[in-house]
Amino acid sequence: MKSRTGIPSASRRDVLAGFATGTAVIAMPWVARAQAETIRIGFPTPLTGPFAAEAKDQVKSAELAVKLVNDRGGVAGRKVELLVRDDKLNAGEAATRTLELIEKDKVHAIVGALSSAVQLAVNEVTRARGVIYVSISQSDTINEVKDFSRFTFHEALNPHMTTAAVAKQTFKPGTKVAYLVADYAYGHEMLRGFKRAQAALGAVSVGEILHPFGAADYSTFMPRLRSMRPDILCICNFGRDQANAIKQAVDFGMNRQAQIVVPVLLNNQRLAIGAEAFEGVIGGANYYWRLEETIPSAKAFNDAFKAANGGAYPTDYGAYGFTGVSALLLAMEKAGGPDTDKVIAALEALTYDVAKGPQHYRKCDHQSVQSVLVLKSKKKADMKNEADLFEILAIEPGSEAALRSCTELGFPA
Amino acid sequence: MTASTSSVAAVATRPTNRRGWRARLILWRVPLSILALCLLPWVLPSMALATNVLIYGLLAVGYNLLFGYTGLLSFGHAAFFGAGAYVTGIAIAQFGASWYAALALGVVAGGLLAFVIGILSIRTRGIYFSMVTLALSQLVYYTALQAASWTGGENGLRGFTVGQLDLFGWTVDFLDPVTKYYVLMVFAAAALWFVSRILNSPFGAVIEAIRENETRARACGYHVERSKLIAFTLSGLICALAGTLLALHLAIVPLDILHYQTSGMIVMMTLLGGAGSFFGPFVGALAFLLMEDVVSLWTSHWQIVVGTVFILFVLFLPKGIWGTALAWEARR
Repeated sequence: MKSRTGIPSASRRDVLAGFATGTAVIAMPWVARAQAETIRIGFPTPLTGPFAAEAKDQVKSAELAVKLVNDRGGVAGRKVELLVRDDKLNAGEAATRTLELIEKDKVHAIVGALSSAVQLAVNEVTRARGVIYVSISQSDTINEVKDFSRFTFHEALNPHMTTAAVAKQTFKPGTKVAYLVADYAYGHEMLRGFKRAQAALGAVSVGEILHPFGAADYSTFMPRLRSMRPDILCICNFGRDQANAIKQAVDFGMNRQAQIVVPVLLNNQRLAIGAEAFEGVIGGANYYWRLEETIPSAKAFNDAFKAANGGAYPTDYGAYGFTGVSALLLAMEKAGGPDTDKVIAALEALTYDVAKGPQHYRKCDHQSVQSVLVLKSKKKADMKNEADLFEILAIEPGSEAALRSCTELGFPA
Repeated sequence: MTASTSSVAAVATRPTNRRGWRARLILWRVPLSILALCLLPWVLPSMALATNVLIYGLLAVGYNLLFGYTGLLSFGHAAFFGAGAYVTGIAIAQFGASWYAALALGVVAGGLLAFVIGILSIRTRGIYFSMVTLALSQLVYYTALQAASWTGGENGLRGFTVGQLDLFGWTVDFLDPVTKYYVLMVFAAAALWFVSRILNSPFGAVIEAIRENETRARACGYHVERSKLIAFTLSGLICALAGTLLALHLAIVPLDILHYQTSGMIVMMTLLGGAGSFFGPFVGALAFLLMEDVVSLWTSHWQIVVGTVFILFVLFLPKGIWGTALAWEARR
């Protein structure tokens, strides 16, 4: 407003044209962004709490999967972004975080969770809102018809297939099995799986003891377990509970009397406790880095992970993050974008081999059909390097016959 | 100590202009609180967080009725919160009840549970009262854990998502976060009015008298035990209402809702905001959940930050955020 004459030569037409150009310039980035909007994937996982170590591995591997896709130019030309949230291993918190991811961050899909209760909470929220969810935590419940959602895909192994594979390698006709079980959903589901396999294989149960979740002291259980005189001591718990229980069982000499078997032999717990206590323990796993000796995709995954994380090897639960996110992104690529119905169709039709050999989702319950590894913890002297923790006893190939049938789960035949 | 922030009688001794200001604030505390709740979703980072602040704020208001106004430190209020949530969820999932019937059932069930636990616990006082309420609420926790066919046990209660609400022939989309917030807010607002009404009644004066000096209240002829029991039950009712709202909001009931950590969190929120002040618990819930939400995005060691802030408040600002602000305003 410094001159009263203003801009004398500007006609009305010029002004209008100027406005139009100005508006267009301001709007440009919006239009451009709408075309190449990033694909956002929510990733709730328990960064705090007893499973934090496993959760951090999941995040690292999921980030790697996203990075690899972005390096190739993204999905259908769109960049992918991973939004990691701490669910604090609490179902209520997970539900809130998932609502936030869907309502505020407008994510196109959710991957994550590391507990039965948490994944069922996320499943409930995504099911009501029609958002794709790839669950990467073990559960049998999520396969059943009551909790089924056509938007949910279960990438993790489930207790039924894990225990069947482990039992097949360890239980013989007449084997006496004693069970030490964590008294919550995970322990109960694992126990149910083992008992089913036990009946099929002709082994016998000599007793089962339930222990509270998060127990630190197992010494009172050990004399009782010894007196059962089992051939196999089967310890069904997760995380730090597994490490504490195995350590104390070995202190009581249970490993000299019986073979210690666990449903899932955890990489991080073996690292935390050391080779001596875990020596000879047998358990299942979804992934172990030495698969690279036979499977090319495992080698590629290991190499990429090592390059991104200063030479560290990927872990079992970490691999879930990688396979889950990779499968989802592959399906989005096939579907040409994040359109929910197209991605579901693509996931149902997908056969993918990203880290551990071929996998696919069963049509009726969306369970990932995949191989189960049976591992045995190595003696310290036999370890070739720091990460060489286990030997692979068997690789049970993925097959729908290893799952509970669709009709058993309650789906129409 | 906190009577000055709440009772009209204490305000009467203040200078005229301040008295006018404070009296007006107390007179208008319910509309002002509701106004604040109306604005809440638009200043917070997400609607889900705002809804949680609403629900946990209401929970802390219910708890404050017992802790801040009656002076009883209960460590078992998770039981009423959980009972409200579970009964609402079970009524919808297992019996196909309509949402308002389920809500009413949840509140009544929580109130009944509070009445029973109240009868058993108010005979004791001080630390013993806290321990008895804690023990009884743990009983409720283990009952819910064991009765898995009803409650879903460890996996939590699921399968009762309310997608649409029919409000007397008028259907609203309950999955829409804004609609959901304002529908739930109507119930919270009604509860706030109810609590304010209780506090303004002669009964409100009696429970504050019990807090200030139990022996004197007894000497004045008040039935202390009965008043405590009524306060305990009313507090349980409000907490149960918060529970039913949480069930409708999240569409799941996690088992952790009954855990003693939830009881601890209620105490923390109330202390952080200001025990014995009307709006303080909401401020406490807001501060606690906002810290948790924002800090946990930034570091996984968020508990250290929240814990430190809490310790600093207990040490230096025992009246909490809102209580201190009110006291500061009064001193000016």
